[in-house]
Amino acid sequence: MAVIKTLDLEKIYNSTHVPVKALNKVNLEIEKGEFTAIVGPSGSGKTTLLNIVGGLDKPTAGKVFIDDEEINTMKDNKLINFRLRNIGFVFQSYNLIPVLTAKENVSFIMLLQKKSKKEMDRRAEELLREVGMADKFDVRPNKLSGGQQQRVAVARALASRPKFILADEPTANLDTASAFNLLDIMARLNREEHITLIFSTHDQRVIERARRVITLVDGAISKDEQFNQ
Amino acid sequence: MKTFITLAWRNIWRNKRRSFISIASVLFAVLFAISADSLEQGSYELMIDNMVKFSTGYIQVQDVMYDEEPGIDNLLYYDEALQEVLNRFEGSISYIVPRIQSFALAATDTKTRGTLVTGIDPEQENQFNRLSENVIRGAYLTDKDTAVLLAEGLAGILSLDVGDTLVVIGQGFQGATAAGMYPVKGIVKLSVPELNNNTVYMPLATAQWFYAAPDRLSALIIMPENPKHTRRITARLNEALDSEWYSALSWEYLLQDLLKMMQMDRAGSQVIIYILYIVIGFGLFGTILTMMLERIREFAMLISIGMKRYQLAVVCLLESFFMSFIGVIIGMMVTFPFVYYFNKNPIPLKGEMAELLIDYGFEPVMPTSIAPSIFITQAIVVFIIALLIGLYPAYKAFKLNVINHTK
Ligand SMILES: Nc1ncnc2c1ncn2[C@@H]1O[C@H](COP(=O)(O)OP(=O)(O)OP(=O)(O)O)[C@@H](O)[C@H]1O
Ligand SMILES: [Mg+2]
Repeated sequence: MAVIKTLDLEKIYNSTHVPVKALNKVNLEIEKGEFTAIVGPSGSGKTTLLNIVGGLDKPTAGKVFIDDEEINTMKDNKLINFRLRNIGFVFQSYNLIPVLTAKENVSFIMLLQKKSKKEMDRRAEELLREVGMADKFDVRPNKLSGGQQQRVAVARALASRPKFILADEPTANLDTASAFNLLDIMARLNREEHITLIFSTHDQRVIERARRVITLVDGAISKDEQFNQ
Repeated sequence: MKTFITLAWRNIWRNKRRSFISIASVLFAVLFAISADSLEQGSYELMIDNMVKFSTGYIQVQDVMYDEEPGIDNLLYYDEALQEVLNRFEGSISYIVPRIQSFALAATDTKTRGTLVTGIDPEQENQFNRLSENVIRGAYLTDKDTAVLLAEGLAGILSLDVGDTLVVIGQGFQGATAAGMYPVKGIVKLSVPELNNNTVYMPLATAQWFYAAPDRLSALIIMPENPKHTRRITARLNEALDSEWYSALSWEYLLQDLLKMMQMDRAGSQVIIYILYIVIGFGLFGTILTMMLERIREFAMLISIGMKRYQLAVVCLLESFFMSFIGVIIGMMVTFPFVYYFNKNPIPLKGEMAELLIDYGFEPVMPTSIAPSIFITQAIVVFIIALLIGLYPAYKAFKLNVINHTK
């Protein structure tokens, strides 16, 4: 069963004087346990697609199902709650709350889910260890490198036990080593823990880490390739 | 909730300079508002204090009709029954000052003049307003005297001095004719110009004889042991007194015109304080706006990952609550010593203003008031303003479109 399914997704931006068709009849199915990269030139609609699939934005036409639940008709409040329970996010930057330590940042999402203090502590530490941040529990984001911040963000995204994790250009601000490191961590999580991951990038270096690569051109899927490593 | 409080608290200290500016502006608002209000209230309190201590007293017992028609025909009868009632208040009443007062014509060989002839118990009156200290020539009265004390201005108008004789003619109780000739025993300087130009003091018995009103009084001035109990004592007096004949009135009632005038005056100066509120309010709003610009992406991120808008709003409100609260508390702590000092050591006035005050019988000083109500009111007002401004980020949390700010 597909964890994500889109049906004739269309997105037209009307905010500029010429309407922009950012997504054009996108039909997509993503299965549990996939590790998918969305690639394509700048302006091809990667961010738009991830935002709509993540319930951050609404399509102009078409539908989004997550585990067979239609999310594009949900009210704002319900949608926020849905995101909290089901979707993990890693953004390009500004992922973390500056005044909280790494561990508090990871715990924060579990706090919003009303998990017990004990579980929060245990899981936050476990996840930070998993992303190689065992020695940075009590460090605030401004004392972490960009790559370290993104790793904490991945740990935070995992903490809520989401159905899948969306990462829009997670390596865009990282140097090559950090970018590889982050992708390796994501690949391992996918391989070992069967975490469903979807990330967008136009960084050729990291695309090969994915097992499925979907190429967008002008808002439409132009290629959909599977790789077996 | 605990985490939200922690989050809010840490957010405040994230940009120390900005928080410092916000807190300082709240602090300044509190400082200024309390000082201004306190100075103004202080001079009112002094004015009222002067009036109460030297003129009306805290409580007056009068004939029921006297308040409406303060004439010689509405004098109260100071009999044993009344004394007995007052005796029951021993302990709450410190002392009593009797007065009989009406208008009469004063004449010399060549001049006549309308005067206020006031019968006083020299001793009690002196205890009340230290009248004897204002005698500038001659001597103060004793209760056995059949002489008068002339106010300095009136003496000048009538060209009379100590040892001369004053003729007074007027209307006595219930249509009797009042007339008498009295030697001038002393000249007294009264600070209220109007009174200084028309007052004649007589010992109580002499005045009662003059007005043909033995045992009758215009008013009994009652000085409570503790002025703070004025209202209660007044109420209890009214219960105890025969309401057909007597009524007890508190200074708040007796000075109601003055109090109304002060209220109107206050309304005027409140405008200045309002302007201050607005200026400070805009300053705070500016800081909050910059803060919002800096944090809008963080807000968008938080809502994106699943923080409810109301939760974010709560954090925002907590932040402005903390900042306002700190500002208000420090503001009050800083202000109190100042206000207290100038309450104990009133600012002396100089020049015309001072002379004007002296002429009206007031001390030429500007004390501050340390009434807790001033602190509480101003602190609460500033606090509420700061909180209202702090509503803006909370409002933003509800309105924010995450898509525009996640890049
Ligand atoms: N808020 C918006 N208002 C108007 N047009 C928009 C908006 N967001 C995106 N677009 C337009 O929609 C199209 C797709 O944009 P999108 O950001 O999804 O592309 P992208 O593939 O993520 O590009 P990039 O690689 O540069 O991040 C572009 O033409 C873009 O200009
Ligand atoms: Mg993009």
